[in-house]
Amino acid sequence: MRIAVCAPQVPFVRGGAEIFADDLVGELRAREHEAELVTMPFKWYPGTRVLTQAFLWRLLDLDEADGRAIDLVIATKFPSYAVRHRNKVVWLLHQFRQAYDLDRTELGQFGESADDRATRRAVHRLDKVALGEARKVFATSRNVADRLERGLGLAAEVMPHPPQSLDYRCEAYGDFILSVNRLDRAKRIDLLLEALAGNPALRCVVVGEGPDRARLEQLAAGHGLDGRAEFTGRVDDDALARLYARCLAVYYAPVDEDFGMVPYEAFLSEKPVVTTSDAGGPLEVVTDRRTGLVCEPAPAALAAACAHLVEHRDDAREWGRSGKRLAEQVSWDATIDRLLS
Amino acid sequence: MRVGYYSPLPPERSGIADYSALLLPELERRVEIVLARHGRTKPQRDTDLAVYHVGNDPVAHGWIVEALRRRPGVVVLHEFVLHHLVAGLTVGRRDAAGYLDAMERDSGVVGRMLAHGVLDNRLPPLWETRPEDFPLAGEILDLAREHGLIVHSRHVEERARAAGFDGRIWRIAHPAWRPPAVAPAGIEGEPLVGCLGHLNPSKRIPQLLEAFVRLRERFPAARLLLVGSTAARFDLDGWLARFDLTGDPALVREPYVEETRLWSLMQACDVCVSLRAPTMGETSGSVIRALSLGRPLVVSDIGWFAELPDDVAVKVPVGEGEVDALVDALARLARGGESSAAKEYVERAHDVGRVAEQFAAAFEEAAGGEAVRDAVLSDVARAASEVGIPADSPELTEVGRRLREAGVGE
Repeated sequence: MRIAVCAPQVPFVRGGAEIFADDLVGELRAREHEAELVTMPFKWYPGTRVLTQAFLWRLLDLDEADGRAIDLVIATKFPSYAVRHRNKVVWLLHQFRQAYDLDRTELGQFGESADDRATRRAVHRLDKVALGEARKVFATSRNVADRLERGLGLAAEVMPHPPQSLDYRCEAYGDFILSVNRLDRAKRIDLLLEALAGNPALRCVVVGEGPDRARLEQLAAGHGLDGRAEFTGRVDDDALARLYARCLAVYYAPVDEDFGMVPYEAFLSEKPVVTTSDAGGPLEVVTDRRTGLVCEPAPAALAAACAHLVEHRDDAREWGRSGKRLAEQVSWDATIDRLLS
Repeated sequence: MRVGYYSPLPPERSGIADYSALLLPELERRVEIVLARHGRTKPQRDTDLAVYHVGNDPVAHGWIVEALRRRPGVVVLHEFVLHHLVAGLTVGRRDAAGYLDAMERDSGVVGRMLAHGVLDNRLPPLWETRPEDFPLAGEILDLAREHGLIVHSRHVEERARAAGFDGRIWRIAHPAWRPPAVAPAGIEGEPLVGCLGHLNPSKRIPQLLEAFVRLRERFPAARLLLVGSTAARFDLDGWLARFDLTGDPALVREPYVEETRLWSLMQACDVCVSLRAPTMGETSGSVIRALSLGRPLVVSDIGWFAELPDDVAVKVPVGEGEVDALVDALARLARGGESSAAKEYVERAHDVGRVAEQFAAAFEEAAGGEAVRDAVLSDVARAASEVGIPADSPELTEVGRRLREAGVGE
């Protein structure tokens, strides 16, 4: 089949969604499909820019390319699913959350002016049209599917996506907690730093870049975590696999996260995941005392959870291995079969 | 965003006052509401939008129409036939010319002539005899054109469109009350058939009484519960006498009752009946309550009532075959027990939180939608003109079509 995978691109930003889109194209090609990534820059501010930028996708003609039909379009996240196609499947990573569950929170975008409120509603209308017309909508997690149901009354089948391809292995249950994430406020790295401040026996390595990095580094310095909190920035695949292989556990607790690949990556490295009870999607795979620890979103509770793993490495090993069995069930063969069915 | 809100409110006794009392707490969680004081028609300052609840009662809604005339806004049209309201605002205030104009606007010269007949006492008041033929909704629809109309049924939406309304319409269900935990009233009957609400000629009481008499031939222990105030010109006692039900213990009569008693009486019923014809395009709080309780229900196959799902209400035709169908329906439902489909339907379609969310969406679109559309269109048009694509080109026409399709432009 000729398949166009549609994904927006925020210039100079690369994260899980971009890796996911690249992997999907690669896996489709590996199965003899002619697959191509179709992308466009996306800027969602100020004012109504979110709508005009989203609308660009609506103007694309992906019925054919170079005189040959495109058989299938797989759209991933807002606003790429606004694309028109007779055979459109959406594998939803997330909607524009500022218009839904993040509205009127500190992570929201829209204020209380009549124009802002109406812009938010216009995003809903666009979503309803664009997602409603798709032949099938898959969501990467129950959390994403539930949000879609709550926000627009649309149903989606839950289909997690496999993690990126890395040289996953377990070499040791070392002395540090690993965080792999984009550094912005919603990812809540500050909670981990505050937990470290409360327990001098804990160490962490923070992988990733983002707009919150300077604040986080200041926070770490302010708590006197020198040497116990290491910020690596973005690392290459080999370095990332090595960190997974040697860490004690992986911290992953964004606020009401869609899903995220990190828990599966941790599991494939036989590492337990420490998360919080309000983390959303990760809770679908991180089960307390079976594949990791789920604690209250408070520094003391997180510090206690991490300390437990420091003191009970057998638990870390057992829960990491349970997670691995879970992660191995998610395969590209099965997901691509469902996408193309 | 601040919304001026014009509606009758408790302690006024009106279905729309109850409706707003139910809706407001949920609405206020989503939008800042500024309640208009009863009778105050001066436009509120510092509000982004005004919303007016319009029903057919001139006492409850006259001041709201006056406020609407001073500042157009979103109209929540609770019924389509507004003849009684318009008559109250014109004839009731010695404004004969206003009534003549309203009738002419509705039905042309013939309407004006009929209005003359009414004003000269040569014809009975049309608002009592044939309001459904002269709905007189024209002025309200005009005033709603700029900001939009909220209706509760497809029936009213279609009638508004047929009357030439070309503004925005949001169709939003009537919210449902959460049934209080009250015990069923101690009224026996096998079955107990209930008709609850203001009793007037359009509730088809004569047809219900005839059907009940016939039902008793098959169910000797059946009883009929009539609850509610009686309309001034409706001779209930006369009809009871005609069907030989005066003083019959099978007929249980209660006047207007308070909310808790109403729920308790409804709980006791095996079947609830809510017939209507002609319809003014109204919904029925009584029907919503009955469905919330999972009571088996019989309604007329007309207007909003006809739009109820088939698995939550039996619909009987109006006119020919009406009584036969009603007897059959009552006999069938007599032993039916509680309807889980009705409860599920109400939870799904009439949930007050969901309704409030739809109201908030309508308000936000009405207040800011045009500015947002303009901003998007201006962005697109500027980009097109910068590369030499004129506004009337086929390319931009196509762009406009896609914008409408995506719900971004109108």
